[in-house]
Amino acid sequence: MFNEMYQSESVIRNHYNNINDWLDQMTSKVILEKNAEAETHFRNIGITFSTNNETARERIIPFDLIPRIFTYTEWLRLERGVIQRAKALNAFLADIYNQGEIIKANIIPKEIIYKKKSFEPSMFGFSPPRDIYSPIIGIDLVRTGPNDYFVLEDNCRTPSGVSYMLENREIMMRMFPDLFHNNRVTPIDDYPTRLLQTLMSLAPIKCENPEPVCVLLTPGPLNSAYYEHSFLSDQMGIEMVESTDLFVEGKYLYMKTVDGPKRVDVVYRRIDDDFLDPLCFNPQSVIGIPGIMDVYRTGGVNICSAPGAGIADDKAIYIYVPEMIKFYLGEQPILDNVETWNCEKEQELKYVLDNINELVVKEVDGSGGYGMLIGPKSSKSSIDEFKTKLSTNPKGYIAQPLLDLSFSPTLIKNQVEGRRVDLRPFCLIGEQAQLSSGGLTRVAMNEGSFVVNSSQGGGVKDTWVLAE
Amino acid sequence: MLSRTAEYLYWISRYMERAETTARLLDVGYRMSLFPNPSGYNNEWESVLSAAGAIEGYKNKYDTIVQKHVEDYLFFDESNPSSVYNCILNARNNALVVRTSFTPESWLAINKTYQEILKLKEQKFTKSDLPDLTEWTIEQVNLFRGSLSSLLRNDGYNFLFLGLFIERADNSARLLDVKYFVLLPKPQYVGGNIDNMQWSILLRSLSSFRAFRWAYDGNITATKIADFLVLNNNCPRSLSFCIQNIVKHLTNLTCSPEKVGRIYNNLKDLNTKIQEEKIETIVEYGLHQFVTQFIRKISSVDNEIHKEFFN
Repeated sequence: MFNEMYQSESVIRNHYNNINDWLDQMTSKVILEKNAEAETHFRNIGITFSTNNETARERIIPFDLIPRIFTYTEWLRLERGVIQRAKALNAFLADIYNQGEIIKANIIPKEIIYKKKSFEPSMFGFSPPRDIYSPIIGIDLVRTGPNDYFVLEDNCRTPSGVSYMLENREIMMRMFPDLFHNNRVTPIDDYPTRLLQTLMSLAPIKCENPEPVCVLLTPGPLNSAYYEHSFLSDQMGIEMVESTDLFVEGKYLYMKTVDGPKRVDVVYRRIDDDFLDPLCFNPQSVIGIPGIMDVYRTGGVNICSAPGAGIADDKAIYIYVPEMIKFYLGEQPILDNVETWNCEKEQELKYVLDNINELVVKEVDGSGGYGMLIGPKSSKSSIDEFKTKLSTNPKGYIAQPLLDLSFSPTLIKNQVEGRRVDLRPFCLIGEQAQLSSGGLTRVAMNEGSFVVNSSQGGGVKDTWVLAE
Repeated sequence: MLSRTAEYLYWISRYMERAETTARLLDVGYRMSLFPNPSGYNNEWESVLSAAGAIEGYKNKYDTIVQKHVEDYLFFDESNPSSVYNCILNARNNALVVRTSFTPESWLAINKTYQEILKLKEQKFTKSDLPDLTEWTIEQVNLFRGSLSSLLRNDGYNFLFLGLFIERADNSARLLDVKYFVLLPKPQYVGGNIDNMQWSILLRSLSSFRAFRWAYDGNITATKIADFLVLNNNCPRSLSFCIQNIVKHLTNLTCSPEKVGRIYNNLKDLNTKIQEEKIETIVEYGLHQFVTQFIRKISSVDNEIHKEFFN
């Protein structure tokens, strides 16, 4: 068991000393007040989950006051590891939508790529600007020891959570300015600027504008990440559009403005592939911009992330990421994968069924902590239920050992207690590759829980990277 | 600016202005209800409902007109599209979409108002709480308006203020009309003490009582008050002031001069007329008729703004 703050029961890790002193002098009254202040702040700025029922009160994610801290050296390794991985994933996408070298080299079997729903045949033979398919990648990491980090999953489509990373920092700086006087915390507030630079550096071939016009495409206010969409477009100073604001005419994409049509160069889309273009993907879709794919393929607009980028974060492809790093970059992977059994393979399925009590079984297409089985924590009946599911649909599942996620000190009813955490830093790749100087730390607020997802009672923390 | 953004901004200030008017109307009713009610007068609450354009909806829901129900209906009722609650909810939902197009302060002002009205809605109120509710609403709307002063003076700003003055023009006209709903049945009361008392209640409800005293000497007369609320360019709620500001924010728009031109042409006559008209002529013609025509004209300008800019 690894604790982020305590080296042993009585010894505090050096970089947590200041926080420990700060915690010591905080009374329960102050903690209560600050918790209330944070909650009011989050409600006021509207960083909430929206629900379909507009009159119901919106939910906010629990925020824990104690920051999670990385030293400069610790972060340096994560930074190199995440960027390495993000580069390999983009190289993989460029490869499979073109020559398919990795398949020819017998490293990844072609069936698991070309038969997947997230593989997009219409992308075949097309190369997006700079060969970047996925310019914003969120990598979910867990820690089990001082130097032991594992990648749980890659998010190559439209990773969310970065607004929490930024707002968590804002509220901490507002409530506890002294903490930031006494600790050298690397700022993260330049993330939106860097994101905009990244998007602008990915302008399409036919764009003549030295400052390409970027927009953020949102599904609308009912989407659970809507706050983030408006937050990011605001911070970047770009329009947040819905698909009805956009239309194709001739070889270009335009948005409807009060001045008439205005050409759009880069679309940072936060909607799924299926809803991009009813002419190309889903004819039943009422949202989407008819013809946008034609404009895209002829270099009139760039769509970030590229349609079909989702194949790179498929749970079956995940297994091969370390191989990709070696194959495309000629490097050794800096961050490890979690050992994963692909139930599609007969032998591995047998192993999973025999050892299910010790394993975590996940749906290949699942997310949000739903549809998974944590073997060691489950009743016999739910284990049996999963055994049946596995036998009838082995393709739909993977299994991993239960990792002993690190503990981070967390305020539970005014007492400091250890709770398990993960981390999602955000990697940007355009003209250059860079990592946010921090990330989103999610914390499983329930005692003993391994599930950090907000939909399952998870909370969030500010994440610090100390300056050198 | 996106057409949709312009539309949402326009409607945010319409909703906020309407919330204030509805609250002020309730205040008019409340004050009138404190004075003796000579037989033959319409029920003051009925005239409030009529002026709010809510009489039909109300009657579908309740059989009798009593203060408690009128309050509920105009302030909190979710089935009344113009209730203060719905205005704030709609303004907030619009603001959620265009929050990137105005200042964080404006968003905060609207969202805090929304958070508070959710709490207010859960509490139980008695008759005497009505002035507090009105005051709260006016305060919240002022907070929002104040936040607009730090906005960039761009088209978004002008759409916000176009919405505000279109709504206010319509609302002021309707408030003027309440007076008529109250008095119409018995023409012999026109010009009497009760008549004047009610005019001054109207002034107070438009927070214009002191302003009126500054602007006019001597007795409070119906003609002076009508002049003040219809033609006086210094009164920020007069019909004339609203029209001037609609013209100003319309012609300040930098987008699509030809669209602006078309709408302006339609508005020009009304503007000229209201600047040159004498109050005596209007009263002679019939204030009620004048006001009704005015409301119709404002509605057609609103339609044109939608057609030209938001489609």
